[in-house]
Amino acid sequence: MAANEVRVLLADDDIDDCLLFKEALEELPLSTRLTIVNDGDQLMKMLLKNTSQLPHVLFLDVNMPRKNGFECLAEIKLNDKLKSLPVILYSTSSEQDVIDRLFQNGAQHFIRKPSDFSQLKRVIHYSLTLIMQEISLKRTKNNFILTGENALINSEAI
Amino acid sequence: MAISNKSFEEELILVREELCFEKEEKGKLFAELIVARNELSFQKDERGKRAAELGLANIELAFEDGEKEKRAVELGIANIELVFQNNEKEKRAAELIIANQELTFQNGEKEKRAAELIIANKELAFQNEEKGKRAAELIIANQELTFQNGEKEKRAAELIIANKELAFQNEEKGKRAEELVLVNTELLAFNYISSHDLQEPLRKIQTLAGRILEKETQNLSDAGKDYFHRIQSAAGRMRQLIEDLLVYSRTNIAERKFEKIDLNIIIEEVKAELKENIEEKHAIIEATEMCEMNLIPFQFRQLMHNLIRNALKFSSPKRPPHILIKSRIVKGNKLNNAKLVGAKSYCHISVTDNGIGFEPEYKDRIFEVFQKLHSREEYEGTGIGLAIVKKIVENHNGIVTATSQLNKGATFDIYIPVTEN
Repeated sequence: MAANEVRVLLADDDIDDCLLFKEALEELPLSTRLTIVNDGDQLMKMLLKNTSQLPHVLFLDVNMPRKNGFECLAEIKLNDKLKSLPVILYSTSSEQDVIDRLFQNGAQHFIRKPSDFSQLKRVIHYSLTLIMQEISLKRTKNNFILTGENALINSEAI
Repeated sequence: MAISNKSFEEELILVREELCFEKEEKGKLFAELIVARNELSFQKDERGKRAAELGLANIELAFEDGEKEKRAVELGIANIELVFQNNEKEKRAAELIIANQELTFQNGEKEKRAAELIIANKELAFQNEEKGKRAAELIIANQELTFQNGEKEKRAAELIIANKELAFQNEEKGKRAEELVLVNTELLAFNYISSHDLQEPLRKIQTLAGRILEKETQNLSDAGKDYFHRIQSAAGRMRQLIEDLLVYSRTNIAERKFEKIDLNIIIEEVKAELKENIEEKHAIIEATEMCEMNLIPFQFRQLMHNLIRNALKFSSPKRPPHILIKSRIVKGNKLNNAKLVGAKSYCHISVTDNGIGFEPEYKDRIFEVFQKLHSREEYEGTGIGLAIVKKIVENHNGIVTATSQLNKGATFDIYIPVTEN
């Protein structure tokens, strides 16, 4: 059981979103273990403390106090021990220049936080599936942005 | 016999007279003999005197002889001297001949030089004349320049005044620009808050209302469920409103980077974005003769998106939407619009639909922010879409007009001035 479980790390200062994320993950037909941190500082300390057992994926909120998603992403991608960790940026807003910068900085995907719970479940499910499949695959710009809607279209292919 | 007597007598007188005369002549001759004797005696004396005198003269001549010899010796010496002097003179003459030749040669040279100098003089005289003319011209030119200088000074003085005015205006503009920077900064801050902080609570309302409807559905009455649906829908509208406002404000402040782009590309992208909507309504979109033009791509995509989405939204329930998009380059004076400059070239883009249209009196109002012609129940929307279209056209220095009649479709005409890169 523990061998198959997907280790998911969520860094988000919004406790409502943390709750919703946790509930969505629990409702998915996947074996996952969720760890939550509430700011960037905490996140980097946790990652650097145990670099031998990194999570399978990090969901990283863009806007956080102390150290934001951009800064954490840059630190992770510049650190040889951390740079292989897939990072999915997770945000309320979806400004194109922000998304472009995140792609350039090495993020795996970008998810705009859905306002519908079932869409939230779908996009988390879809992104985890992609991550578990394409850890070694190259990132491409056309499947960089994940939404509940494209999850619906693409989940049939999974 | 008387005359013979008389002639004798006369002969006797004549003989007497002759005898008398001979006697007188004898007397005279005697006297003359005495005078001659006297004379001879005198001459004897005289000869003595003369002999004495000759002795003296001899002595004198002997002396003169000596003198003459001395003088001959002196003359011999003088002769030698003269010979010497002669030789000297000959040498000098030879030298003078040489010198003369030299002088002759030099004379020749001087003549040549003189001839050359004459030519040179003429040349100089000509040049002098030319310089005189040039000097006269320069004097005129100088006067002209002096006049122009005077004019320039006046102009400079005017420019100084104008400069001061401009400096003042610049300063004012600088102040205005600073104010605008501040306002812009505030707008950016507002944008950021709108795009993130304002949306975040709405998203929670929507999500949590949805969670209640999902998880607690058995604990809710039908009215309760309806209220929760209304909460969700209201929150959704507010999110849409915020998003549309964001797009509107971004068209004001976003970087305006013009690129040469084919309108076909933009229309194809918009059709892809609206694919589901087009399929659902069985709409036909025809785009013909699209030109290439300089525009801000992401803004123009938004513009075409809004116009086509509008045409789909306000389609008639009686017929499937047919949207015709055309473009052409045309001079301003060929277009029937007073706001266009006659000599300028414009890209005229028209979007015509066969939808429900609107009454002509609303042709301007529809471009204002939040202006809607229909209730939310009839057609949902925030009333910002066409305001965004107008703003984008203005960002391209163009104008947009709408013509329609109720139930007879609508045409949107856009005129963008053609610019070089």
